[in-house]
Amino acid sequence: MAVRRPVALAVAVLLGVSATGCVAAPPPEPPAPEQTAMEQLDLAAPAAESVLRRSREITVRIRALGCQALGIGSGFVLPGGVVVTNRHVVDQPRQVTLNTWDGRSLDASVDGLAVDSDLAVLTLGDDAGLPVAELAPETPQPGTPVIAVGYPGGGPATVSTGTVVGITDADVLGESAGVIVVDAEIRQGNSGGPLLDEQGRVVGVVFALDTASGHGLAVPVSTLLDRLDADAFAEPSGAC
Amino acid sequence: MSVPPGQDDPYPTEPFEPAEPAPVLEPAQVHDPARTHPASRRPGGRGPLVAVLVLALLVGAVGVGVGWQQRQVAAEWRDRTEVRTGERDEALGRAEALQRQLDEVADALSTSEGDVATLTERITALADEKAQAEDSATTVQVQRDAVLDLSQQVASSVSALEECTTRLFDLQRDTVGAFNRATAGEQVDVSPLNGRLEDTTAFCNDARSAAARAAAAARALPQ
Repeated sequence: MAVRRPVALAVAVLLGVSATGCVAAPPPEPPAPEQTAMEQLDLAAPAAESVLRRSREITVRIRALGCQALGIGSGFVLPGGVVVTNRHVVDQPRQVTLNTWDGRSLDASVDGLAVDSDLAVLTLGDDAGLPVAELAPETPQPGTPVIAVGYPGGGPATVSTGTVVGITDADVLGESAGVIVVDAEIRQGNSGGPLLDEQGRVVGVVFALDTASGHGLAVPVSTLLDRLDADAFAEPSGAC
Repeated sequence: MSVPPGQDDPYPTEPFEPAEPAPVLEPAQVHDPARTHPASRRPGGRGPLVAVLVLALLVGAVGVGVGWQQRQVAAEWRDRTEVRTGERDEALGRAEALQRQLDEVADALSTSEGDVATLTERITALADEKAQAEDSATTVQVQRDAVLDLSQQVASSVSALEECTTRLFDLQRDTVGAFNRATAGEQVDVSPLNGRLEDTTAFCNDARSAAARAAAAARALPQ
Protein backbone atom coordinates (compact mmCIF):
# COMPACT_ATOMS: atom_id res chain seq x y z
CA MET A 1 0.00 0.00 0.00
CA ALA A 2 2.85 2.35 0.74
CA VAL A 3 4.20 1.87 -2.77
CA ARG A 4 0.95 2.98 -4.38
CA ARG A 5 0.97 6.22 -2.53
CA PRO A 6 3.55 7.97 -4.76
CA VAL A 7 1.75 6.64 -7.81
CA ALA A 8 -1.55 8.04 -6.62
CA LEU A 9 0.17 11.25 -5.73
CA ALA A 10 1.67 11.54 -9.17
CA VAL A 11 -1.62 10.75 -10.83
CA ALA A 12 -3.30 13.33 -8.66
CA VAL A 13 -0.67 15.91 -9.56
CA LEU A 14 -1.07 15.05 -13.20
CA LEU A 15 -4.83 15.35 -13.02
CA GLY A 16 -4.60 18.48 -10.95
CA VAL A 17 -2.31 20.16 -13.38
CA SER A 18 -4.49 19.10 -16.24
CA ALA A 19 -7.68 20.10 -14.53
CA THR A 20 -6.82 23.33 -12.77
CA GLY A 21 -3.63 24.66 -14.10
CA CYS A 22 -4.61 24.82 -17.74
CA VAL A 23 -6.32 27.64 -19.57
CA ALA A 24 -9.05 26.60 -21.90
CA ALA A 25 -8.93 27.56 -25.52
CA PRO A 26 -11.10 30.46 -26.63
CA PRO A 27 -14.67 29.40 -27.11
CA PRO A 28 -16.16 29.47 -30.58
CA GLU A 29 -17.17 32.83 -31.89
CA PRO A 30 -20.61 33.64 -30.57
CA PRO A 31 -23.21 34.57 -33.13
CA ALA A 32 -23.53 38.24 -33.85
CA PRO A 33 -25.86 39.86 -31.35
CA GLU A 34 -29.23 40.75 -32.71
CA GLN A 35 -30.31 44.37 -32.84
CA THR A 36 -32.23 45.11 -29.73
CA ALA A 37 -35.45 46.99 -30.05
CA MET A 38 -35.51 50.60 -28.97
CA GLU A 39 -37.18 50.98 -25.65
CA GLN A 40 -38.49 53.71 -23.47
CA LEU A 41 -38.40 56.40 -26.10
CA ASP A 42 -40.13 59.53 -25.02
CA LEU A 43 -42.61 59.91 -27.86
CA ALA A 44 -45.32 61.73 -25.97
CA ALA A 45 -44.69 65.10 -27.53
CA PRO A 46 -44.40 63.84 -31.13
CA ALA A 47 -47.47 61.66 -30.60
CA ALA A 48 -49.48 64.59 -29.30
CA GLU A 49 -48.34 66.73 -32.20
CA SER A 50 -49.29 63.94 -34.55
CA VAL A 51 -52.76 63.71 -33.02
CA LEU A 52 -53.28 67.45 -33.38
CA ARG A 53 -52.10 67.41 -36.98
CA ARG A 54 -54.28 64.43 -37.74
CA SER A 55 -57.27 66.04 -36.07
CA ARG A 56 -56.94 69.03 -38.40
CA GLU A 57 -56.67 66.78 -41.42
CA ILE A 58 -59.85 64.83 -40.73
CA THR A 59 -61.86 67.97 -40.07
CA VAL A 60 -63.51 69.71 -43.01
CA ARG A 61 -65.11 73.08 -43.42
CA ILE A 62 -68.68 72.90 -44.69
CA ARG A 63 -70.30 75.61 -46.75
CA ALA A 64 -74.00 74.96 -47.12
CA LEU A 65 -76.13 77.13 -49.29
CA GLY A 66 -79.61 76.97 -47.86
CA CYS A 67 -82.87 78.48 -48.88
CA GLN A 68 -82.30 81.74 -47.10
CA ALA A 69 -78.65 82.01 -46.23
CA LEU A 70 -75.18 80.69 -46.57
CA GLY A 71 -74.16 78.56 -43.59
CA ILE A 72 -70.64 77.69 -42.48
CA GLY A 73 -69.89 74.75 -40.23
CA SER A 74 -67.54 71.90 -39.63
CA GLY A 75 -67.57 68.16 -40.08
CA PHE A 76 -65.33 65.16 -40.23
CA VAL A 77 -64.75 62.37 -42.69
CA LEU A 78 -65.46 58.71 -42.07
CA PRO A 79 -64.43 55.78 -44.26
CA GLY A 80 -66.38 55.42 -47.47
CA GLY A 81 -66.60 59.11 -48.25
CA VAL A 82 -69.13 59.72 -45.49
CA VAL A 83 -69.02 63.07 -43.73
CA VAL A 84 -70.68 63.72 -40.40
CA THR A 85 -71.87 67.14 -39.37
CA ASN A 86 -74.78 68.82 -37.64
CA ARG A 87 -78.26 68.78 -39.02
CA HIS A 88 -78.61 72.51 -38.49
CA VAL A 89 -75.54 73.14 -40.65
CA VAL A 90 -76.97 71.49 -43.75
CA ASP A 91 -80.67 71.92 -43.18
CA GLN A 92 -82.55 72.76 -46.39
CA PRO A 93 -79.50 72.18 -48.54
CA ARG A 94 -79.27 73.58 -52.02
CA GLN A 95 -75.55 73.30 -52.46
CA VAL A 96 -72.97 71.81 -50.09
CA THR A 97 -69.23 72.21 -50.54
CA LEU A 98 -66.45 70.96 -48.32
CA ASN A 99 -63.12 72.68 -47.88
CA THR A 100 -60.25 70.54 -46.67
CA TRP A 101 -57.35 71.73 -44.55
CA ASP A 102 -55.08 71.74 -47.59
CA GLY A 103 -57.35 73.85 -49.76
CA ARG A 104 -59.33 71.31 -51.71
CA SER A 105 -62.98 72.02 -52.49
CA LEU A 106 -65.24 68.99 -52.78
CA ASP A 107 -68.90 68.79 -53.63
CA ALA A 108 -71.09 66.77 -51.31
CA SER A 109 -74.71 65.79 -51.09
CA VAL A 110 -76.81 65.48 -47.97
CA ASP A 111 -77.68 61.84 -47.49
CA GLY A 112 -79.69 62.05 -44.33
CA LEU A 113 -80.76 64.16 -41.40
CA ALA A 114 -81.26 62.62 -37.99
CA VAL A 115 -84.75 63.11 -36.68
CA ASP A 116 -84.05 63.16 -32.95
CA SER A 117 -80.49 64.43 -32.87
CA ASP A 118 -78.50 67.26 -34.40
CA LEU A 119 -76.66 64.97 -36.77
CA ALA A 120 -76.46 64.70 -40.52
CA VAL A 121 -74.49 62.58 -42.93
CA LEU A 122 -73.17 63.74 -46.27
CA THR A 123 -71.65 61.79 -49.11
CA LEU A 124 -68.67 63.02 -51.01
CA GLY A 125 -68.69 62.74 -54.75
CA ASP A 126 -64.99 61.98 -54.57
CA ASP A 127 -63.28 61.53 -51.23
CA ALA A 128 -59.93 62.00 -52.98
CA GLY A 129 -58.12 59.94 -50.38
CA LEU A 130 -59.03 62.20 -47.52
CA PRO A 131 -57.79 61.09 -44.09
CA VAL A 132 -60.61 59.52 -42.16
CA ALA A 133 -61.56 59.69 -38.52
CA GLU A 134 -61.75 56.78 -36.12
CA LEU A 135 -64.76 56.57 -33.85
CA ALA A 136 -64.17 55.77 -30.18
CA PRO A 137 -66.14 52.76 -28.94
CA GLU A 138 -67.78 54.58 -26.06
CA THR A 139 -68.59 57.97 -24.65
CA PRO A 140 -65.85 59.58 -22.51
CA GLN A 141 -66.23 59.94 -18.79
CA PRO A 142 -66.07 63.26 -16.92
CA GLY A 143 -62.50 64.43 -16.56
CA THR A 144 -61.38 62.92 -19.83
CA PRO A 145 -59.14 65.29 -21.83
CA VAL A 146 -60.68 66.17 -25.18
CA ILE A 147 -59.80 68.12 -28.30
CA ALA A 148 -62.31 70.20 -30.24
CA VAL A 149 -61.53 70.98 -33.87
CA GLY A 150 -63.47 73.21 -36.18
CA TYR A 151 -63.67 76.32 -38.30
CA PRO A 152 -65.13 78.91 -35.94
CA GLY A 153 -66.36 82.02 -37.64
CA GLY A 154 -65.66 80.48 -41.00
CA GLY A 155 -61.99 81.18 -40.45
CA PRO A 156 -59.04 78.81 -40.38
CA ALA A 157 -59.18 75.56 -38.47
CA THR A 158 -58.63 75.83 -34.76
CA VAL A 159 -57.82 73.20 -32.19
CA SER A 160 -58.87 73.76 -28.60
CA THR A 161 -58.30 71.43 -25.71
CA GLY A 162 -60.24 70.86 -22.55
CA THR A 163 -61.89 68.19 -20.50
CA VAL A 164 -65.28 66.59 -20.22
CA VAL A 165 -67.14 68.48 -17.54
CA GLY A 166 -70.03 66.09 -17.43
CA ILE A 167 -72.65 64.11 -19.25
CA THR A 168 -76.10 65.57 -18.92
CA ASP A 169 -79.21 63.45 -19.19
CA ALA A 170 -81.49 66.45 -19.51
CA ASP A 171 -83.21 67.26 -22.76
CA VAL A 172 -80.80 69.71 -24.32
CA LEU A 173 -81.93 71.32 -27.57
CA GLY A 174 -84.06 68.33 -28.41
CA GLU A 175 -81.33 65.74 -28.07
CA SER A 176 -82.92 62.42 -27.22
CA ALA A 177 -79.87 61.02 -25.43
CA GLY A 178 -77.26 62.49 -23.13
CA VAL A 179 -75.06 65.39 -24.12
CA ILE A 180 -71.35 65.81 -23.47
CA VAL A 181 -70.45 69.05 -21.73
CA VAL A 182 -66.88 70.22 -22.26
CA ASP A 183 -64.87 73.23 -21.19
CA ALA A 184 -62.93 73.39 -24.45
CA GLU A 185 -63.43 76.65 -26.30
CA ILE A 186 -66.34 76.33 -28.70
CA ARG A 187 -67.53 79.06 -31.02
CA GLN A 188 -70.01 79.48 -33.80
CA GLY A 189 -68.65 77.55 -36.76
CA ASN A 190 -67.43 74.68 -34.60
CA SER A 191 -70.82 73.07 -35.18
CA GLY A 192 -70.44 69.62 -36.65
CA GLY A 193 -66.76 69.42 -35.81
CA PRO A 194 -65.31 66.42 -34.03
CA LEU A 195 -64.64 66.15 -30.34
CA LEU A 196 -61.62 63.89 -29.99
CA ASP A 197 -59.89 62.05 -27.20
CA GLU A 198 -56.14 62.08 -26.66
CA GLN A 199 -55.73 59.24 -29.12
CA GLY A 200 -57.44 61.26 -31.82
CA ARG A 201 -60.61 59.17 -31.82
CA VAL A 202 -63.97 60.86 -32.21
CA VAL A 203 -65.91 60.83 -28.95
CA GLY A 204 -68.55 63.37 -29.89
CA VAL A 205 -69.90 65.87 -32.41
CA VAL A 206 -69.89 69.50 -31.29
CA PHE A 207 -73.28 71.07 -31.83
CA ALA A 208 -73.89 73.97 -29.49
CA LEU A 209 -72.52 76.40 -26.96
CA ASP A 210 -74.06 76.97 -23.57
CA THR A 211 -73.78 80.74 -23.43
CA ALA A 212 -74.57 80.81 -19.72
CA SER A 213 -71.68 78.62 -18.65
CA GLY A 214 -69.48 78.99 -21.71
CA HIS A 215 -69.31 75.24 -22.02
CA GLY A 216 -69.48 73.45 -25.32
CA LEU A 217 -72.04 70.75 -26.00
CA ALA A 218 -71.48 67.67 -28.09
CA VAL A 219 -73.55 64.75 -29.25
CA PRO A 220 -71.95 61.60 -27.79
CA VAL A 221 -70.31 59.16 -30.16
CA SER A 222 -72.66 56.47 -28.86
CA THR A 223 -75.60 58.40 -30.31
CA LEU A 224 -73.78 58.74 -33.61
CA LEU A 225 -72.95 55.03 -33.65
CA ASP A 226 -76.57 54.14 -32.91
CA ARG A 227 -77.84 56.35 -35.73
CA LEU A 228 -75.24 55.04 -38.16
CA ASP A 229 -75.92 51.41 -37.27
CA ALA A 230 -79.65 51.85 -37.53
CA ASP A 231 -79.35 54.11 -40.57
CA ALA A 232 -81.76 56.36 -38.71
CA PHE A 233 -81.50 59.32 -41.02
CA ALA A 234 -84.30 60.90 -42.99
CA GLU A 235 -83.79 62.16 -46.50
CA PRO A 236 -83.84 65.94 -46.78
CA SER A 237 -87.03 67.31 -48.26
CA GLY A 238 -85.22 69.85 -50.36
CA ALA A 239 -88.13 72.24 -49.96
CA CYS A 240 -87.53 75.78 -48.88
CA MET B 1 13.23 8.69 2.38
CA SER B 2 12.59 6.17 5.10
CA VAL B 3 15.47 4.74 7.16
CA PRO B 4 15.33 1.32 8.63
CA PRO B 5 15.24 1.19 12.36
CA GLY B 6 18.55 1.08 14.07
CA GLN B 7 20.49 2.65 11.17
CA ASP B 8 21.74 6.16 10.99
CA ASP B 9 20.19 8.35 8.43
CA PRO B 10 22.70 8.51 5.54
CA TYR B 11 21.14 11.81 4.48
CA PRO B 12 20.97 13.74 7.71
CA THR B 13 18.98 16.85 7.67
CA GLU B 14 21.17 18.38 10.28
CA PRO B 15 24.09 20.53 9.08
CA PHE B 16 27.21 18.55 8.50
CA GLU B 17 29.60 18.82 11.35
CA PRO B 18 33.13 18.66 9.98
CA ALA B 19 34.65 18.60 13.47
CA GLU B 20 33.21 15.21 14.09
CA PRO B 21 33.46 13.21 10.92
CA ALA B 22 30.91 10.51 10.53
CA PRO B 23 32.15 7.02 11.25
CA VAL B 24 33.19 5.11 8.17
CA LEU B 25 31.51 1.83 7.93
CA GLU B 26 33.02 -1.12 6.33
CA PRO B 27 31.05 -2.57 3.49
CA ALA B 28 30.62 -5.78 5.44
CA GLN B 29 29.29 -3.86 8.31
CA VAL B 30 26.77 -2.01 6.30
CA HIS B 31 23.44 -3.02 7.44
CA ASP B 32 21.43 -4.31 4.48
CA PRO B 33 18.11 -5.37 5.68
CA ALA B 34 17.35 -6.77 2.23
CA ARG B 35 20.20 -9.21 2.46
CA THR B 36 20.07 -9.95 6.15
CA HIS B 37 16.27 -10.14 6.21
CA PRO B 38 15.14 -11.31 2.75
CA ALA B 39 11.74 -12.17 4.09
CA SER B 40 11.12 -8.57 5.04
CA ARG B 41 11.88 -7.09 1.51
CA ARG B 42 9.14 -4.88 0.21
CA PRO B 43 7.20 -6.27 -2.76
CA GLY B 44 8.20 -4.99 -6.20
CA GLY B 45 11.80 -4.27 -5.35
CA ARG B 46 12.86 -1.41 -7.62
CA GLY B 47 9.53 -1.58 -9.35
CA PRO B 48 7.98 1.25 -7.41
CA LEU B 49 10.94 3.45 -8.00
CA VAL B 50 10.77 2.72 -11.68
CA ALA B 51 7.10 3.34 -11.65
CA VAL B 52 7.63 6.60 -9.88
CA LEU B 53 10.35 7.47 -12.34
CA VAL B 54 8.12 6.58 -15.26
CA LEU B 55 5.33 8.53 -13.77
CA ALA B 56 7.62 11.44 -13.19
CA LEU B 57 8.73 11.23 -16.79
CA LEU B 58 5.11 10.91 -17.80
CA VAL B 59 4.22 13.90 -15.71
CA GLY B 60 7.10 15.79 -17.20
CA ALA B 61 6.05 14.80 -20.70
CA VAL B 62 2.50 15.73 -19.97
CA GLY B 63 3.73 19.00 -18.51
CA VAL B 64 5.69 19.68 -21.64
CA GLY B 65 2.64 18.82 -23.69
CA VAL B 66 0.40 20.90 -21.56
CA GLY B 67 2.86 23.74 -21.74
CA TRP B 68 2.97 23.52 -25.50
CA GLN B 69 -0.79 23.33 -25.63
CA GLN B 70 -1.10 26.29 -23.28
CA ARG B 71 1.21 28.28 -25.49
CA GLN B 72 -1.10 27.48 -28.37
CA VAL B 73 -4.05 28.50 -26.24
CA ALA B 74 -2.31 31.71 -25.28
CA ALA B 75 -1.62 32.38 -28.93
CA GLU B 76 -5.25 31.79 -29.75
CA TRP B 77 -6.32 34.15 -26.96
CA ARG B 78 -3.88 36.75 -28.27
CA ASP B 79 -5.31 36.29 -31.73
CA ARG B 80 -8.79 36.61 -30.34
CA THR B 81 -7.75 39.71 -28.45
CA GLU B 82 -6.30 41.25 -31.57
CA VAL B 83 -9.47 40.39 -33.47
CA ARG B 84 -11.59 41.85 -30.73
CA THR B 85 -9.45 44.93 -30.56
CA GLY B 86 -9.83 45.39 -34.28
CA GLU B 87 -13.53 44.83 -34.07
CA ARG B 88 -13.81 47.25 -31.19
CA ASP B 89 -11.86 49.91 -33.05
CA GLU B 90 -13.97 49.31 -36.14
CA ALA B 91 -17.16 49.46 -34.12
CA LEU B 92 -16.05 52.64 -32.40
CA GLY B 93 -15.20 54.16 -35.74
CA ARG B 94 -18.53 53.08 -37.17
CA ALA B 95 -20.30 54.44 -34.13
CA GLU B 96 -18.54 57.77 -34.50
CA ALA B 97 -19.40 57.89 -38.19
CA LEU B 98 -22.99 56.98 -37.45
CA GLN B 99 -23.15 59.61 -34.74
CA ARG B 100 -21.94 62.21 -37.24
CA GLN B 101 -24.54 61.06 -39.73
CA LEU B 102 -27.14 61.05 -36.98
CA ASP B 103 -26.28 64.60 -36.06
CA GLU B 104 -26.48 65.64 -39.70
CA VAL B 105 -29.82 63.88 -40.16
CA ALA B 106 -31.10 65.38 -36.92
CA ASP B 107 -30.12 68.81 -38.13
CA ALA B 108 -31.73 68.13 -41.49
CA LEU B 109 -34.81 66.78 -39.78
CA SER B 110 -35.03 69.78 -37.55
CA THR B 111 -34.73 72.02 -40.58
CA SER B 112 -37.29 69.92 -42.44
CA GLU B 113 -39.67 70.01 -39.52
CA GLY B 114 -39.36 73.75 -39.46
CA ASP B 115 -39.95 73.85 -43.19
CA VAL B 116 -42.92 71.50 -42.88
CA ALA B 117 -44.40 73.57 -40.09
CA THR B 118 -43.92 76.75 -42.08
CA LEU B 119 -45.33 75.21 -45.24
CA THR B 120 -48.23 73.67 -43.35
CA GLU B 121 -49.02 77.03 -41.85
CA ARG B 122 -48.83 78.57 -45.29
CA ILE B 123 -51.06 75.85 -46.76
CA THR B 124 -53.58 76.42 -43.99
CA ALA B 125 -53.53 80.17 -44.59
CA LEU B 126 -53.94 79.73 -48.33
CA ALA B 127 -56.71 77.18 -47.83
CA ASP B 128 -58.46 79.63 -45.55
CA GLU B 129 -58.10 82.44 -48.07
CA LYS B 130 -59.42 80.18 -50.79
CA ALA B 131 -62.38 79.13 -48.63
CA GLN B 132 -63.15 82.75 -47.84
CA ALA B 133 -62.95 83.60 -51.52
CA GLU B 134 -65.31 80.75 -52.30
CA ASP B 135 -67.64 82.01 -49.61
CA SER B 136 -67.60 85.41 -51.22
CA ALA B 137 -68.10 83.90 -54.65
CA THR B 138 -71.02 81.87 -53.36
CA THR B 139 -72.51 84.91 -51.66
CA VAL B 140 -72.07 86.98 -54.79
CA GLN B 141 -73.59 84.18 -56.83
CA VAL B 142 -76.55 84.04 -54.45
CA GLN B 143 -76.93 87.79 -54.75
CA ARG B 144 -76.57 87.63 -58.52
CA ASP B 145 -79.19 84.91 -58.67
CA ALA B 146 -81.44 86.97 -56.45
CA VAL B 147 -80.96 90.08 -58.54
CA LEU B 148 -81.54 88.08 -61.68
CA ASP B 149 -84.69 86.63 -60.21
CA LEU B 150 -85.76 90.06 -59.07
CA SER B 151 -85.13 91.55 -62.47
CA GLN B 152 -87.25 88.82 -64.02
CA GLN B 153 -89.98 89.49 -61.50
CA VAL B 154 -89.83 93.21 -62.15
CA ALA B 155 -89.82 92.71 -65.89
CA SER B 156 -92.75 90.36 -65.63
CA SER B 157 -94.69 92.68 -63.36
CA VAL B 158 -93.94 95.64 -65.59
CA SER B 159 -95.18 93.70 -68.59
CA ALA B 160 -98.27 92.73 -66.67
CA LEU B 161 -98.86 96.31 -65.60
CA GLU B 162 -98.37 97.48 -69.17
CA GLU B 163 -100.83 94.86 -70.34
CA CYS B 164 -103.18 95.95 -67.58
CA THR B 165 -102.90 99.55 -68.73
CA THR B 166 -103.50 98.56 -72.33
CA ARG B 167 -106.54 96.54 -71.35
CA LEU B 168 -107.83 99.40 -69.24
CA PHE B 169 -107.42 101.85 -72.11
CA ASP B 170 -109.12 99.43 -74.49
CA LEU B 171 -111.92 98.90 -72.00
CA GLN B 172 -112.20 102.61 -71.46
CA ARG B 173 -112.35 103.30 -75.22
CA ASP B 174 -114.97 100.61 -75.80
CA THR B 175 -116.96 101.80 -72.82
CA VAL B 176 -116.93 105.35 -74.11
CA GLY B 177 -117.98 104.10 -77.55
CA ALA B 178 -120.81 102.12 -76.05
CA PHE B 179 -121.87 105.17 -74.05
CA ASN B 180 -121.88 107.36 -77.16
CA ARG B 181 -123.92 104.78 -79.06
CA ALA B 182 -126.39 104.51 -76.21
CA THR B 183 -126.64 108.31 -76.08
CA ALA B 184 -127.43 108.30 -79.80
CA GLY B 185 -130.38 106.03 -79.12
CA GLU B 186 -128.72 102.83 -80.16
CA GLN B 187 -129.53 99.70 -78.26
CA VAL B 188 -126.28 98.70 -76.56
CA ASP B 189 -125.50 95.38 -74.82
CA VAL B 190 -123.09 96.12 -71.94
CA SER B 191 -122.69 92.52 -70.85
CA PRO B 192 -119.47 91.98 -72.85
CA LEU B 193 -118.12 95.16 -71.35
CA ASN B 194 -118.92 93.96 -67.86
CA GLY B 195 -117.18 90.64 -68.54
CA ARG B 196 -114.10 92.41 -69.89
CA LEU B 197 -114.16 94.67 -66.87
CA GLU B 198 -114.00 91.71 -64.54
CA ASP B 199 -111.22 90.07 -66.53
CA THR B 200 -109.23 93.26 -66.73
CA THR B 201 -109.70 93.94 -63.06
CA ALA B 202 -108.45 90.45 -62.17
CA PHE B 203 -105.56 90.75 -64.55
CA CYS B 204 -104.57 94.10 -63.16
CA ASN B 205 -104.83 92.84 -59.61
CA ASP B 206 -102.45 90.01 -60.49
CA ALA B 207 -100.10 92.49 -62.08
CA ARG B 208 -100.20 94.67 -59.00
CA SER B 209 -99.54 91.68 -56.76
CA ALA B 210 -96.58 90.68 -58.91
CA ALA B 211 -95.28 94.22 -58.70
CA ALA B 212 -95.71 94.16 -54.93
CA ARG B 213 -93.79 90.88 -54.70
CA ALA B 214 -91.01 92.29 -56.82
CA ALA B 215 -90.85 95.34 -54.61
CA ALA B 216 -90.68 93.13 -51.52
CA ALA B 217 -87.94 91.05 -53.09
CA ALA B 218 -86.03 94.17 -53.90
CA ARG B 219 -86.30 95.34 -50.32
CA ALA B 220 -85.12 91.90 -49.10
CA LEU B 221 -81.95 92.06 -51.15
CA PRO B 222 -78.83 92.52 -49.00
CA GLN B 223 -77.39 95.94 -49.39
